[in-house]
Amino acid sequence: MSPRLKISKYVIERLSKIDTNEITGCLYGLMYDSTLLVVGMSLEFFENEKKTYRQLLLSLPAEIELCGIIRFTKSLCVESKAKEILQDVDITDNPLFIIINEDKKIKAHFLVHDKFEETSYDILPAEELWKQFIHVRLNTILPLTCEATIPGVKNVLQTKRKKIASGEVSFQIDGTAVYLFGIASDVGVTGTSMENNVGDLIDSITPEQSSKKKKYNLNKVEIVPVSLVMKATKDILSDKLVKTAVKMMTTQRKPAFCISMPLRVDTLAMVHRNTKLSELYTVLVEAACRSLKLLETVLLEQLGQEGIGDGAGLRLPETFHFLPQELGHFITRVVPKSIPDESMEKERRLIHEQLCLPLDRPIFRRGNAFCNNPGKLVNIHEALPPLPVKQDTTVALVRGKYTYHHYMQDNFNDDGWGCAYRSMQTIFSWFRFQGYTTVEIPTHRDIQQCLVNIGDKPSSFLGSKQWIGSTEVMFCLETLLGVQSRIIFANSGSELVNYTPELVHHFQKHGSPIMIGGGVLAHTIIGVEYNSVTNDTRYLILDPHYTGADDISVVISKGWCGWKNSDFWNKTAHYNLCLPQTKPVI
Amino acid sequence: MVRTVYSPEYCLQYLEQYASQESFVLGLILGQITDARENIIHLARTPEEKSTDTGSESSYTSEKTECVRNLLGVSEAWVADHAKHVTRMLPGGMFVQGIFITSDEDVFEDPNHFSKIKTILNFTHKILSSNPHMFGNYPHSNERLILHMSTSTKVLTCKSMEVGSGKTTSIKPVEWKFLPKPQQWQRLDCYYEFDDIYPIIVKKSGISVKQQFQQILEAAHKTIQSSVMFIDGELKDGSDALEQLIKKKRPKNSTKAQDVPKSMHVSLFVPFESSLPETVEYLECDGSIHFSGVVSSSVFMYPKATVSEAIAAVKQDIIRSLASRFTMHCDALIDDNLLPEEKVCFNEPPRRVLVPVGALYLCDYLFPGEAPAEALLSVKELLDLQITENDVVCDVETPADTSEFDALDRDASSEELLATPQEASQFMYITGICFAMFVLIVSILIHYYDAIAQFMGKLLTRS
Repeated sequence: MSPRLKISKYVIERLSKIDTNEITGCLYGLMYDSTLLVVGMSLEFFENEKKTYRQLLLSLPAEIELCGIIRFTKSLCVESKAKEILQDVDITDNPLFIIINEDKKIKAHFLVHDKFEETSYDILPAEELWKQFIHVRLNTILPLTCEATIPGVKNVLQTKRKKIASGEVSFQIDGTAVYLFGIASDVGVTGTSMENNVGDLIDSITPEQSSKKKKYNLNKVEIVPVSLVMKATKDILSDKLVKTAVKMMTTQRKPAFCISMPLRVDTLAMVHRNTKLSELYTVLVEAACRSLKLLETVLLEQLGQEGIGDGAGLRLPETFHFLPQELGHFITRVVPKSIPDESMEKERRLIHEQLCLPLDRPIFRRGNAFCNNPGKLVNIHEALPPLPVKQDTTVALVRGKYTYHHYMQDNFNDDGWGCAYRSMQTIFSWFRFQGYTTVEIPTHRDIQQCLVNIGDKPSSFLGSKQWIGSTEVMFCLETLLGVQSRIIFANSGSELVNYTPELVHHFQKHGSPIMIGGGVLAHTIIGVEYNSVTNDTRYLILDPHYTGADDISVVISKGWCGWKNSDFWNKTAHYNLCLPQTKPVI
Repeated sequence: MVRTVYSPEYCLQYLEQYASQESFVLGLILGQITDARENIIHLARTPEEKSTDTGSESSYTSEKTECVRNLLGVSEAWVADHAKHVTRMLPGGMFVQGIFITSDEDVFEDPNHFSKIKTILNFTHKILSSNPHMFGNYPHSNERLILHMSTSTKVLTCKSMEVGSGKTTSIKPVEWKFLPKPQQWQRLDCYYEFDDIYPIIVKKSGISVKQQFQQILEAAHKTIQSSVMFIDGELKDGSDALEQLIKKKRPKNSTKAQDVPKSMHVSLFVPFESSLPETVEYLECDGSIHFSGVVSSSVFMYPKATVSEAIAAVKQDIIRSLASRFTMHCDALIDDNLLPEEKVCFNEPPRRVLVPVGALYLCDYLFPGEAPAEALLSVKELLDLQITENDVVCDVETPADTSEFDALDRDASSEELLATPQEASQFMYITGICFAMFVLIVSILIHYYDAIAQFMGKLLTRS
């Protein structure tokens, strides 16, 4: 019997926007509860006979597997190359075959006994996806010592994969006494009931999640942290028990270069909340193996390069997880430590193209990496109730993540003078999160130093409590980040409305937060709502004058982040807006 | 509350036997301290110091140990050495807890005698703490036992004394009780496996076996201490008593509460250190070390002991056993240098065998090629106990054979060795002959240097 079919809303949206000359793509999905859920897709270019989807699979969380193909044609015919992909589908006996015509109509089929049977499907909304699915994140460090050659690295990593796959490891859920064991042991789980599922577990780890907090945590990615312990004893009852006493063999060889490094395994798996803990073991083994293969790829690439294979130029591979908002699933990348993002653009462009992501902004730079706890409130505006859809109304919002910076943070008292500095920090955080930079967010003093350095301010400015305005923010962004800004000057608060279309355009094109200064106050604009008929404008304001603790419920309920009408602005004061511009890069 | 120790009844007969011979005897008290109870497992007489011609194999009997010495004639170094050797035979969780003496004098009253006791105990404490990996001293208390039986009155007195603390020594009374029934023990077994290959720099100076073993030992100590231990595959609450684990497991209808408790299987899992420097280290190496094989571990705990006490004992046992083997191996080594004379070098430390003592097992170590009968000797000599060859449990570990080494190595890495063992020996053989030839020629040259020089000179002048 063919499984039930669900397709993630993200995939549907991506397909509806896709514009490509390719005719074939791959579909990725996972099985749960006799349902096949399609969570991702990629284009297949069939370049150099290399099956790019195989490498991409390693970048996906474990459990997500190749599940079928997509064709941007009308016909059901399959040529040999596409057939090969279908033969690679292991997750189900009935590979999925979706065709999408020019009108973006989607038809899904299962391949049953070499025949295509059309099937209906449900769409899984984004909220449901994040509510029903949990990510398990395995973190461990494997000490790696081997000869600095390609076969040396290959061998030792293969040994490690074998060891992990042979049931010699146990996984510990961090912060708990829960351990998972392999089939080799007759106990699957210890520290909790065998019958418990992953959902129960995560609820027990984070019990303090009050209903209030849950209300504000829409689409939150839930992550179970896991670590690995390696079995050091042998099973006494095993018939394969070899009891040879300890001994040491020393061998002298030709001198050769050896490398020794801590190999950090950091890998994800995506599982349904109802997955039994006892089923999690094999999932984690697969996740660890995927990670080791990715790490191996990066090490081998480096060893293959000239001048690195024989010198100390080998760099530690570092793992980053990305959750681009268009995708709805993680992509994991491993890059050599301290190689600048700028010099790895070619690889990133390929992934952008493969995943049909925009080519005008960074998505897979280090700064874009998913970060579960940046220390400050992230994108609080997402906790606001959704705006009702109105006729002739456009809503344009900040695109991507930023952190909320306000008075009194970081044990620094800037109450009464630091609002523009804080607004600038929010803008800076946005550029960091979008991967444009890895420069640390500047402190008040850093900002003042920058203005002194460029000659905008005298040296007495340093350490003072003087205000800054939009132009200073522009100077700093240019000096520290190389970011150009547009300054809009409005004679009065009431004149501001005239610039609404420009703000809409800014958010659509650049998506960065806007700093606005007027009178004695500075604010951050992170969105506009614009009625093109009535010219009515509302502004989404992030207010840096808040002095309380980082509590999302207070910030939202007291309106420190919220929609304001145009009478929010002082009718008589002058206003300066700083609109940071982005350049098209990857 | 007075410290109370529980001893098997045969220890009383053991003491009485010596006391009735009215001879002075000194020996070690071996035992286990747990929060629930302190148990003595064995008393072992310290062997005769002058052992040059004892010929212990054939004629060593207790009747012949007539001794003119008294306590004051005892060498503390000798007793400490005995304690060191006996500690190697103890499983984890068991320690030398003090000394016993049978003598005529009241050793506690006579200041000369008592100061000798102090010296012996303090010196033993010092010697046992010299190698921390041996876990020679019980870590949680420095109160050592002194058990005395008067040869004239047969009165038994036990006191305790603090060691390693300097001048002030407080003497406390200890209640010594004999158990009419043999004590039951909970046995815990595991096989700890090593399989590590790491590169080394041999260069010209070669490698010290001792140093290499020391490094392995230190690494193993760190790893084992950080490991998580499971009993019968489950993580247990550290404060639970071992016997509770069995009771929980046993179905209610099984009425035999007095069953001999089954051995528990222990497994250890090691986490990986996260403290490594975040860099790639780069070394030019010309050799590698493959350390592999198992340490079999069997510890015996008082059934009311807690899980954490058992965990500590198992970890101690593995490290202590490793340290014992390495020390014994290095002591027997003629040349500490591994390389560079040879391309491949094996080091086979002695393997563990179990020897029965009362209701439990202690252990001994056999060098490659030694027969189990060798263990009888050390048991007789160090534990003052007669066992037969059949009593020795020899199959907890098997000796390594070199062919297995080759196979292991070919398996483990496809890296080409400079020379395989056979090739190496052939190579050595040929170089050996060449070298001998060279030496011969050079010595002939030197010997006849004058003659040759003369001859050459003549040859030259003539032309």
